[in-house]
Amino acid sequence: MNKKTKLIPPGLVYIADNITSKQNLLGAPKGSGARWAKDLNLPKEAETVFFAGCGYQYSASLESLMSIIRKLDKSPVGAGLPMGVASFTKRMGFDPAQLYRRLAAKDGDAAQPLLDAVKVLKGLGVEFGYLAEDEPCCGGILHYTGLEEDFAQNAQNLYKTLKSHGVKKIIGIVPSCTYTLAELIPKHVPGYDIEVKHFLQVVLEGIKSRELRFPREAKVIYHDPCQLARYLGLIDEPRRILKAIKGIELVEPDWTFGEWATCCGGGGGFEVVFPELSQILAVNRVKELLETGADIIVSHCPGCILQLEEGLKALKIKNVEVLDLAQVVAMAMGV
Amino acid sequence: MSVFGDYKKEIMDAAHNERIRLALSRAIKQYRANVDKTLKAFPQTIKLAEEVRGIKERAIGNMEKLAEQACRAIEANHGQAYIARTADDALNIIGGLVGSGKLIVKAKSMTSEEIGLREHLEEKGNEVYETDLGEFIVQKLGSRPMHILAPAVHVPKEDVAKLLSEITGEDLPADVEVLVATARKLLREKFFKADIGISGSNVVAAETGSLFLIENEGNIRLATGAPPVHIALVGMEKLVPSLADAWKVAEVTWRYANYTIPPYISVVSGPSCTGDIEKVITYGAHGPREFHVIFLDGGRTELAKHPGLRQLLYCLRCGGCLYECPVFGVTAGHFGDKYFAGIGAVWAAMISGDKEKAAALAYTCLTCGRCKVRCPMAIDVPEMVVELRKMLAAGG
Repeated sequence: MNKKTKLIPPGLVYIADNITSKQNLLGAPKGSGARWAKDLNLPKEAETVFFAGCGYQYSASLESLMSIIRKLDKSPVGAGLPMGVASFTKRMGFDPAQLYRRLAAKDGDAAQPLLDAVKVLKGLGVEFGYLAEDEPCCGGILHYTGLEEDFAQNAQNLYKTLKSHGVKKIIGIVPSCTYTLAELIPKHVPGYDIEVKHFLQVVLEGIKSRELRFPREAKVIYHDPCQLARYLGLIDEPRRILKAIKGIELVEPDWTFGEWATCCGGGGGFEVVFPELSQILAVNRVKELLETGADIIVSHCPGCILQLEEGLKALKIKNVEVLDLAQVVAMAMGV
Repeated sequence: MSVFGDYKKEIMDAAHNERIRLALSRAIKQYRANVDKTLKAFPQTIKLAEEVRGIKERAIGNMEKLAEQACRAIEANHGQAYIARTADDALNIIGGLVGSGKLIVKAKSMTSEEIGLREHLEEKGNEVYETDLGEFIVQKLGSRPMHILAPAVHVPKEDVAKLLSEITGEDLPADVEVLVATARKLLREKFFKADIGISGSNVVAAETGSLFLIENEGNIRLATGAPPVHIALVGMEKLVPSLADAWKVAEVTWRYANYTIPPYISVVSGPSCTGDIEKVITYGAHGPREFHVIFLDGGRTELAKHPGLRQLLYCLRCGGCLYECPVFGVTAGHFGDKYFAGIGAVWAAMISGDKEKAAALAYTCLTCGRCKVRCPMAIDVPEMVVELRKMLAAGG
């Protein structure tokens, strides 16, 4: 980490340090995010690999960490520590790595979208591997934090890792990781020759002639993640998939869908710097979505999923479910 | 407390303020409906916006020459023109022209907010009236603008009624029509008693030195037409080569500011004059006798050289992006400095020199990118914000 970082909110410096030292956002032991896939027997050497990303792999831990940060932010202690996740962790002896170990058991459930995504891809006959504990962090947050040198270094290391495993093509699932792999990393890696596709593009190609049926009748609203809709331009794809599933009635909010979708309030580390404001934005977004009377909110980004669940919780709404699109497709395929 | 600590407290107080949220939710809904209707009625605006982007790109690369050309044109029109390199230069020029003990009527101008013009003139012992209704409300509240086109966007009508009731000593209802009529009554005589009128400009044609002023209320026509002296402060990024270019810029600006056609578009190129008595041209007829235009650099020519950030100068100040910013939607202009939201962070870095404030704003941007979708100039605010963060992370 370079020295001139005093203008960067400490929360982001903390995440950046975790990426550079542990190759994940949370500072969990290196490679520990791969546990979700330990029984899947996915090959580690493959031309096409599934890129799971930090967000899903560590989502239970992130959720717990965020709930602590939010409580802190609202408390008198938090007021004196405006951005200080890092300084807080030092002063209060709080160790996210330890928290991670405590919550290790929970992570299995939270990785459900990943397990479902793997089932869907297998069900569609796609051949792919997974780098498991060798999967590098895309480092996107380094770029968005403004630490471009660190990002460039991370990008070059990542490329070397991918090449050493013989990777030619990536199927990404986290919107931000996918955009980083497809658009940002190539700017720092001369001759970058990895083809990047998003999970939804692969699914859409694969499901053409399949019968898809949701286990029950449901009114579904789809929340577009910013990076998926406005960065990667994947707006029609999720809708075409949802519309192909029998039993699902897809509804849209007034105005705020597709390229006009409202951010869930969890963008690019914002939730670490402004946890309480982030929660307010999550609540606002959930309200917009529920004006349609939907009973399932579907999205496709680990950050959005956390935020939307947080919004529902804050509004004390219990009869609405948040599901990842990968889960919905798996249910509809019956895999 | 630190700059960031103070700022965070300010935006969190705003985010918990139900009045702000009520006013903004009404405004955002109204804006979207209006702009949707406007662009459906004039679908050619979208193509015109692309053309204007090209005009702006070329003009920004040529600001210095355009400013010199405009100065020559204005002087040929018997006006006075100046190029101010810094905000202080601009304040000194205008302060020198105004002096003290004057009554001044002001049109709304973000560039004057940028340099703190009203406060400067008040300190010099002048009486200054903001005549744009929103700006008047904000001035009387002792607040600052919270949107570039709708400065009182954060004040619901009930609060305006309370404010104007206090000023007039009457018990006014929260009825928008009554409130507007009250403001008209309060400001009417000021226009005709004023020594000086001050305005900005939406776009300037360099070839003729013509200032385009777009408005609804009619206050700009009065403020720039009734007093004997008209002073205009204009950012150099407002310059375009020709009258035809300026018209295109103006049209796109008002469409994205949600108007099909505004009631008034004034084009001012010099002081008023007449040759009606023996063909002797005499300056100072019914309009102003003196016309002064100050072009403000204030970091703009430097910014134009920066490949990632120069797009900031393409901004038409239509204000559309602000309505699409989720953070602005709950905090209004508290997420800002002189200018607001993500794009305001870049302005703050450029004009205020306060790196800590600029950093606080830069890291408040979600980089969600909905502003870019709205922007007629397709300004990539997230890209600029990340660029700014890189500069800040490297120590500014």
